[in-house]
Amino acid sequence: MSIDVSFILNAFVQLLFSVPTTLLITGVSVLCGFVIGMAIALVRIFSVPVLSSIAIWYVTFIRGTPMLVHLLLIYNGLPLLIDGLSHRLGWGFKSAAIPVIDFVCLSFSITASAYLSEVIRSGLLAIDRGQMEAALSIGMTKPQALRRVVLPQALAASIPNFSNTVIGMLHGSTLAFTVPVVEVMAKAQIVASTNWKFLESYLAAAVIFWGITVLIETSAGLLERRVNLYNRGGVA
Amino acid sequence: MIQLSGITKSFGRHAVLKGIDLMVHSGEVVVILGPSGSGKTTLLRCINYLEHPDAGSITIGADTVDCRRASKREIHQLRQKTAMVFQHYNLFRHKTALENVMEGLVVVKKWPKAEARQRSVELLELVGLGDKLDAYPSRLSGGQQQRVGIARALALNPEIILFDEPTSALDPELVGEVLAVIRAIAEQGITMLIVTHEMGFAREVAQRVVFMDEGVIVEEGAPGQLFTNPREERTRQFLQRLTYGMADAWTGAGR
Amino acid sequence: MAPFDITYVFSFFPKLLSTLGVTLLIVAGSIGLGLVVGLVVALPRLYQVPVLQRLSQLYISFVRGTPILIQLFLFYYGLPELVRSFGVDISRYPVLDFVIVTYGLNSGAFFSEAIRASVTAVDRGQVEAAHAIGMTGYQAFSRIVLPQALTIAVPVFANLVIALLKDTSLAFSLGVMELTGKAQSLGTITQHFTEAYISLAFIYLAISLTLEKLFTLWERRLSHDERSDAPLPVGFLGRKAAYRKLRAGLGLEKAGTGV
Repeated sequence: MSIDVSFILNAFVQLLFSVPTTLLITGVSVLCGFVIGMAIALVRIFSVPVLSSIAIWYVTFIRGTPMLVHLLLIYNGLPLLIDGLSHRLGWGFKSAAIPVIDFVCLSFSITASAYLSEVIRSGLLAIDRGQMEAALSIGMTKPQALRRVVLPQALAASIPNFSNTVIGMLHGSTLAFTVPVVEVMAKAQIVASTNWKFLESYLAAAVIFWGITVLIETSAGLLERRVNLYNRGGVA
Repeated sequence: MIQLSGITKSFGRHAVLKGIDLMVHSGEVVVILGPSGSGKTTLLRCINYLEHPDAGSITIGADTVDCRRASKREIHQLRQKTAMVFQHYNLFRHKTALENVMEGLVVVKKWPKAEARQRSVELLELVGLGDKLDAYPSRLSGGQQQRVGIARALALNPEIILFDEPTSALDPELVGEVLAVIRAIAEQGITMLIVTHEMGFAREVAQRVVFMDEGVIVEEGAPGQLFTNPREERTRQFLQRLTYGMADAWTGAGR
Repeated sequence: MAPFDITYVFSFFPKLLSTLGVTLLIVAGSIGLGLVVGLVVALPRLYQVPVLQRLSQLYISFVRGTPILIQLFLFYYGLPELVRSFGVDISRYPVLDFVIVTYGLNSGAFFSEAIRASVTAVDRGQVEAAHAIGMTGYQAFSRIVLPQALTIAVPVFANLVIALLKDTSLAFSLGVMELTGKAQSLGTITQHFTEAYISLAFIYLAISLTLEKLFTLWERRLSHDERSDAPLPVGFLGRKAAYRKLRAGLGLEKAGTGV
């Protein structure tokens, strides 16, 4: 048996229908992860008592364990918790009523939040202390200084790391194949085993991911060049 | 008028300010001199509350802040009445010269954009940068950046402008343009407190010179008196070192 | 599913640890292979060899551009099909071999980027100074550039290894009985999945933290002569050390997460 080139195209088209699911999982987890990650980064930067040590443990735990384990824990453990509570409090609510994809998004948001908090924190740490002081010296409040001066620069500085994390989450979304959600990877498995054409199906999946990755990288590059216009040196 | 009384500040076990009393009258230009580590920069930063003093009080105009229990609100108000020009300029790197000057007016003073813009253009023209409105800091020389920094401080129309070694990060040939701008605004009767090592400039522009060492004010007086006839031994030694240092630097440069 | 019972978490530890060897074998094997691949892939780009340089780029782009899970399946199911057309049958090779080769090729791409970045990060003046005192090109590289590059590379390398460790959790999908595979089978047998995964998480955490500690020690030994290093931008809150570590950690991280 050799490669069936025409089947790659065939598989490619079939897989395209699952791309929205993959993008949805990635998008939701990156967005929620960003919000939580921002909170964590700020808590740590300003050394908020108690919260910042919790944040450190959280980030260490998430970064020290595989994303797959987060998914398995949430997918298996959370229903136990929900049903237990529901039973005890008489809600009459079953965890089975929650769509599987919600568990996936929740779990991946948690994963993303830890990584993104580090990305944001590194961006914040890269900003010169004088920027904050200058903002305070002209009478801005701390939140104003953060929002108008420090964060815009920090986020601009972390575009490359940010794009890396988004790509990581995109690739990580393939882990959803372990639970009943049909994203591109799961679809590739289905196409492969029903047609007995593994190489072709996985090649098609690889091409799809490769394409999206290059797209993300390119747009991040463009965005970075645009946003960092102010950093171009050279005395006029 | 601004009055400091009993300002103290320690970093860990190291006492940097040991009870500073200082009065600056409206329209007065005061220069602070002193060896490095004498606490002069810390004093300046305390007035703007970039460092929180451990004790003492700061009075600006009619309002007095007790440093021991300054509220966020008081600190915020204090900052609005003071402005700072930094050693390393600290211009907002992601904003143009014009935006840097406008920022305080729009965000803090809540001016309408058009008015803020007009005022900012005037100020940038005043510091000789009318042609650099849209340049980002990374495109400006150190001297130009510092002049934008001065315009940004002026924009807030503060009761006092604090200068923290405004020329010490500059290449020698750029010092002159910044000093010229400071001199020009001094003549407009704006209250200023300046930390600097530029003796000639201090002598010319200051109405009063304060000499600090090891966290205390050793002596103060009119520049003519303090430079030619200091009362304290410590001041004399410092001035001597500085003069010899200059001489060394000159012969070094001549080689 | 059985109700939650914390005692299972503890009783699962020794059972899971019995497969620790397999996980570590995959990690170690992949690092070994990955370093060789990484060096081979980095060299054409460092010396700007015309055609090969392009191939290196393509290789790196593909590996970084596709999920490791797909690479794993592509290799395991695809390679035997591909070589069968040349009359070679490798479909009976042990799964573990496929897994190690895939992870090796995968981490090779990331190692090559780390190697390239570290070597180019060494100041050009260092080589010039070495030449100026009469060193040959080889001497300059091995005595001056390499030691400095290594110091830069260690934190990045540490991150790659920890990411690799976490990636090995995917090998279960091909039926390899490593930590995650074992946890799943324990879950299936006892119906205490959650407890199994909690144990699993703590074991991964412990290995990650240990690896991190070891790498930090190694880094400290390498950089003993650089304690008063060149000024890094002192951060927003003036925490130089924290920033330095963080930056190294993020720099070439396995496309972010290292699932």
